[in-house]
Amino acid sequence: MSEAKTEPKKPVRPLPRPDIYTKTTPFWEAANEGKLLLQYCKDSGKYQWFPRAGSIHSGKRNIEWRQASGRGTVYSYTVSVAAWPGHEDRVPYICAYVELEEGVRILANLFNVKGEDVKVGMPVKLTFERLSEKFNYPAFEPA
Amino acid sequence: MAKKKDVAIVGYGETPIVLRGGRSSYDLASEVLEQILNQTGVEKSEIDGICVSETMSETSNPFWAVFLAEHLGLQTNWTQINGMGGASTAAGIIRAASAIRDGLCTTVLVVASDAQSSYPPTEQGGPRWEFQYPVGLRGPTGVFGMLMQRYEHQYGLKYEALAKLAVTQRNHGLMNPNATAKLKAPLTEKEYLDSKFVSTPLRVLDSVMVCDGANGVLVTSTENAKRLGLKKAVYPVGYGEVTNYKVDDLLADITESGFTVAGPRALAQAGMTPQDVRMFHPYDDFLIAIMLQLEQIGFCGKGEGSDFILNTDLSHKGKLPLNTGGGQISAGQPGLAGGGLNLVEAVRQMFGEAGERQVSDPRNAMVTGIGSIPYAKNWSCSNVLILEQ
Repeated sequence: MSEAKTEPKKPVRPLPRPDIYTKTTPFWEAANEGKLLLQYCKDSGKYQWFPRAGSIHSGKRNIEWRQASGRGTVYSYTVSVAAWPGHEDRVPYICAYVELEEGVRILANLFNVKGEDVKVGMPVKLTFERLSEKFNYPAFEPA
Repeated sequence: MAKKKDVAIVGYGETPIVLRGGRSSYDLASEVLEQILNQTGVEKSEIDGICVSETMSETSNPFWAVFLAEHLGLQTNWTQINGMGGASTAAGIIRAASAIRDGLCTTVLVVASDAQSSYPPTEQGGPRWEFQYPVGLRGPTGVFGMLMQRYEHQYGLKYEALAKLAVTQRNHGLMNPNATAKLKAPLTEKEYLDSKFVSTPLRVLDSVMVCDGANGVLVTSTENAKRLGLKKAVYPVGYGEVTNYKVDDLLADITESGFTVAGPRALAQAGMTPQDVRMFHPYDDFLIAIMLQLEQIGFCGKGEGSDFILNTDLSHKGKLPLNTGGGQISAGQPGLAGGGLNLVEAVRQMFGEAGERQVSDPRNAMVTGIGSIPYAKNWSCSNVLILEQ
């Protein structure tokens, strides 16, 4: 296609690479069904995020995946004015640390809200962004 | 613990900091060694230990430390590499001191060299491919934007205080012949406040510019320094280090870091209070990091950083001279050798060799390091080193 040569190259957004540093396939399979899984340490009764091979609470490997409620609040946020590579066509976009009811914080995009309207402490709920056929990516929006 | 002065820093070297200069980390480190040998008159054969910082430009080589020693012509009895980012050089001095005390070696080259702006850094992997890159948080600037936002929410943040830090360090950088050419221009507080947002509320002028460069120091026993007839020496008298502060407390505030532990520990070991510190050379990847360190090491209380900065003369002639070489923010960040930049400046000051920016009473200095960015926290490594004449 000759006309494609003159058009600016569309940024290629990075897609997750599962199972590289630890087994995460269960997380992505659940995400595809609209569920957010966290790891739960059965010894300490605490959740953890991001996924690890063992529990950061006990050092043991007695952990399992459990579904999160999807409810949380904004712990902090930033409006990305300059893009991380692959996100150039999304600016400005909002990144937030969302504090989940389960006692963990997760980095995610905030949707359906403007940067100037986001407040620390604001209640948010889980939503998903379809990045590809394989990846449904967790995000949050005002509750 | 009693204050020890049995191990000393007896020499230092530093290359100019250059944006995309194209010289390799080997080449830059070689210049540091030559400077140290010329400055001290020590023969290369006296060096029997090497402690190297991991780099961005060479870390794909798992043999970086031994290759560098080979490149420099050093046969060593003790070889170490520290992968603690900007905390590596201060950590290296303390580890070298321990090795010297243990008799493993006598004279150690502690060196950091990185051509990060010329040669693409290696990918750090881990969870980032899945849980950061698809979200688009813009690396360190994004993480520190989050940190500033949270700090502002908890304590209020006076941007004029950050502006003052920017201008103070720039004024110092203008007097530093090694500072990168691109940053050799006067800066006003208004220019800081008007600079573009990168990741709100973090601005372009909150951040370092990644460059190339190298720096290092020579560490030996005080006894050996005497044997070698070395006249100049500064002593590491206090040290604290924490990695992965509160890693298993997932709701710990990101506005609190390992400096709350490392700072008081270093001060106690040195038998000092913050009021005794004559110069402060903190790791400065972002301006907010300086403010957080002032609070957490104990120069002022939590949330009082803005007022402390506004009420304290931080110039080289002031009450608490701050990063008198301009810091990384105004001299340029020589990649992961950035942790040695402010340290070498402290040693230079204490040797009385800082030229027009020389402070009048350099009897001691506090130097800090910050290394690596973890997931949804602040930084991975915090360390504090106190040097005394």
